[in-house]
Amino acid sequence: MSEMWINMGPQHPMTHGLWNLRVKIDGEMILDVDPEMGYLHRGIEKISEDRHYNEVITLMDRCCYVAGFSWEHLYILAAEEALRIAPPERAEYLRVLCDEFQRIGSHLMWYAAFVQDLGLMSPFLYGMRDRDLVLDLFQSYTGARMTYEYMRVGGVRSDLPPGFTDRARQVIDWLEARFNEYDQLTLGSDIFRKRCDNLGLLRARDCIAHGVTGPMLRSAGVKRDLRKDRPYSAYDRVEFDVAVADGADVTARYLVRLEEMRQSLRILRQVLDWLDRHPGPVIAEQLPRWLGAPYAPIGREGYLLKRNFPKGTGFSAIEEPHGEALAYVVNEGGEHPYRVKFKSPVFSNISAARQYLVGYHVADIPPIMGSVDVCVGEVDR
Amino acid sequence: MQPDELSRRLAPLLGERLIGVEPYPDTAGRVRFRREGALDLFRALRDDLGFGQFSTVAGIDWVDHREVVYVLWSDAAKQYVLLSADLPADSPRIESASGIWPSANWHERETWEFLDITFDHHPDLRHLLMPDGYAFHPLLRSFKLHEPEELEVKSRHV
Repeated sequence: MSEMWINMGPQHPMTHGLWNLRVKIDGEMILDVDPEMGYLHRGIEKISEDRHYNEVITLMDRCCYVAGFSWEHLYILAAEEALRIAPPERAEYLRVLCDEFQRIGSHLMWYAAFVQDLGLMSPFLYGMRDRDLVLDLFQSYTGARMTYEYMRVGGVRSDLPPGFTDRARQVIDWLEARFNEYDQLTLGSDIFRKRCDNLGLLRARDCIAHGVTGPMLRSAGVKRDLRKDRPYSAYDRVEFDVAVADGADVTARYLVRLEEMRQSLRILRQVLDWLDRHPGPVIAEQLPRWLGAPYAPIGREGYLLKRNFPKGTGFSAIEEPHGEALAYVVNEGGEHPYRVKFKSPVFSNISAARQYLVGYHVADIPPIMGSVDVCVGEVDR
Repeated sequence: MQPDELSRRLAPLLGERLIGVEPYPDTAGRVRFRREGALDLFRALRDDLGFGQFSTVAGIDWVDHREVVYVLWSDAAKQYVLLSADLPADSPRIESASGIWPSANWHERETWEFLDITFDHHPDLRHLLMPDGYAFHPLLRSFKLHEPEELEVKSRHV
């Protein structure tokens, strides 16, 4: 008879963002949970209806602040389909380059936050240190470390600076060696295994019924990766394996994410080789003037020439670092999208919280939610 | 799976309630249906055609009517399918899919909250991203961005 509801959040070390996990407990046991979202809602879908197609990209970086490139890519694919514009091949490879470095950056951020939840302080510092190398690369060709505004409808803003591919290869070599050290620090530790094995179980059937995707689904043994199953951009032209594990627990999610980072390095090596051999334009020629020349600032004067495009809709799906992200863009012929809808993978992953939290102890919440990899920006939008 | 195959398998089940299946790039097609056929269509797609995952539902306000667009994924076919139904603006309601795919729960809550589309027999249709008692549906075209709204926010748990 000591049941009660407690709030973990909106300010709580476990949340990694601004949201509230209401937990019904009896002593230390979790009886029920009710996630409360919306603290970070900025109305991105509504604001997008009032922005030109390229101006929405600015908002996309803020959707998920640790995976800005993935969200730019998602929106751009849908917008290009709605406007019937095709990017040049080099731009597609550059987008894959962005996406995969972003996946590593996002997973390193997850790694750092997750191990810190477990009380491991040194791996946290190593994770943040290595993520900085990736951010340095981003800064060298976009000028920004988190909010890039790099992709454009019809291509990308600019080409890589001289010497970039060699610097990127050095970072890749460095990271590859570090990932093995990560494993020694965590998987080699008895305490880590005791805290994470058989925790937060979510089997494949429940994952699919509750819409859980990404590393959480692959850790339950389902080999689904949109990069393979429904290839976009240049993913059908690179070789990589889909990381899967079958434990369906916190440790399995760790294994999947680490393996994904290694596969990303494999993709990046191929992409860098291709980019070295194939110079070319990075943005489609003959774009309407209001979509902006590649180097022109996105200013109002660029949009004065209003051009009506044929109406249409665009639907895109990409494998974001957290899972399956979808965009649906409705083009009604104006210079603004009529409606933009985004589906975030974390939104579905959190909505299933009852499935993987109930029955465990309160002290298990930080490792379990850590293994979910929450990014509130893309849930609330 | 191709649009004509979808159409061939769905037509006997839905009859009049299926308007048609049109091709859509990189998907199994876009199924247009009348809202009375929603539950039968959902069941057929999940049980007979293998669309085991409900990915999302999007609402669109066309001013004279509203549209809902569902996105489902099949692991067997490795394909998405889009479903679309028009709802009259004076009674924008449709049967909830959350009894068939639990993942529809939050997506329908969000669509109700932002577009005032009611999902009948939804187990838990309450605010998700906006505070309780929020009286507006911001993604309707009648909600203007540049006009201030008066808002009284109530605490959720008093």
